[in-house]
Amino acid sequence: MATVQVRYIVHDVDAAIQFYCQLLGFQEVMHPGPGFAMLQRGDLRLVLSRPSGPNTGGGSVLPDGRRPEPGGWNRFAVEVSDLAAMIERLRGAGAHFRSDVILGTGGKQALVEDPSGNPIELFEPLRPEARLQSA
Amino acid sequence: MVPDPFDALRLPVVPIDPRPEFAAALLRRIQGRAATAARQTATVRYFVADLDLAVEFYCRQLDFEEELRPSPTFAMLYRGDLRLLLSVPGPGHTLPDGTLPEPGGWNRISLQVADLAAVVEALREGGARFRTGLVRGAAVQNVLVEDPSGNLVELFEPLAGYHERAPSRTS
Repeated sequence: MATVQVRYIVHDVDAAIQFYCQLLGFQEVMHPGPGFAMLQRGDLRLVLSRPSGPNTGGGSVLPDGRRPEPGGWNRFAVEVSDLAAMIERLRGAGAHFRSDVILGTGGKQALVEDPSGNPIELFEPLRPEARLQSA
Repeated sequence: MVPDPFDALRLPVVPIDPRPEFAAALLRRIQGRAATAARQTATVRYFVADLDLAVEFYCRQLDFEEELRPSPTFAMLYRGDLRLLLSVPGPGHTLPDGTLPEPGGWNRISLQVADLAAVVEALREGGARFRTGLVRGAAVQNVLVEDPSGNLVELFEPLAGYHERAPSRTS
């Protein structure tokens, strides 16, 4: 069961569903309207909201007029066992990468963008203690 | 003693040295099977300008626990199944074109709390900035608060119309 919820703002919910489900192993939980969807991958629930009018849910414009938008640098991480293969697959599907492979202390990572430009951290652990397994 | 007539047919027992490669491969197979069944901890990375302020905010106000703080530019916090990585942007994060990550944006973690009004009051007393007032919908009431670096956190309290998928259906 998903126990952690993250909200990403996207311009096109359908394109985002396709990207996350077909390329990154998410499952669609619900897609009740064009402006919202709920996806799941392991413990992570990803809710996708399209920028929208006042009091219309997670993508609502703020009372002061500020409008939510995709992007930024904060992101969730997805662990993969073969980063190179994943990058090739995503590039083949036309995904845009912000970075080449970055070597860190616990593993290597690459930053890919969803169709709206939100970052996702792809992470291949190189040390057992860096793995995301909770068991 | 009468020799066993089948002795002649038996294959000789040859002592072998255990092969470490085989043992390692077997272990990988066993652990690999267990690992696919195991859950992945949901991990989110936030960029913060001041690590101490951020750790204090998340731990004091939002019930996170500090797991690791191996350097002045990185901390790992936990809240239930959520692992929150806090990074201070630095040379290691610079993109090839020179861009440095920064806090902010609209994407956010969404945390369930039991008493939103009480949490909001405590956050206000602590000087936190809010992007919205308390918004009440059919399923949840929620509020958007900023951490000291301006990263967004969504806090919600379930109401009567709240739906959560039953655990057994997604096992």
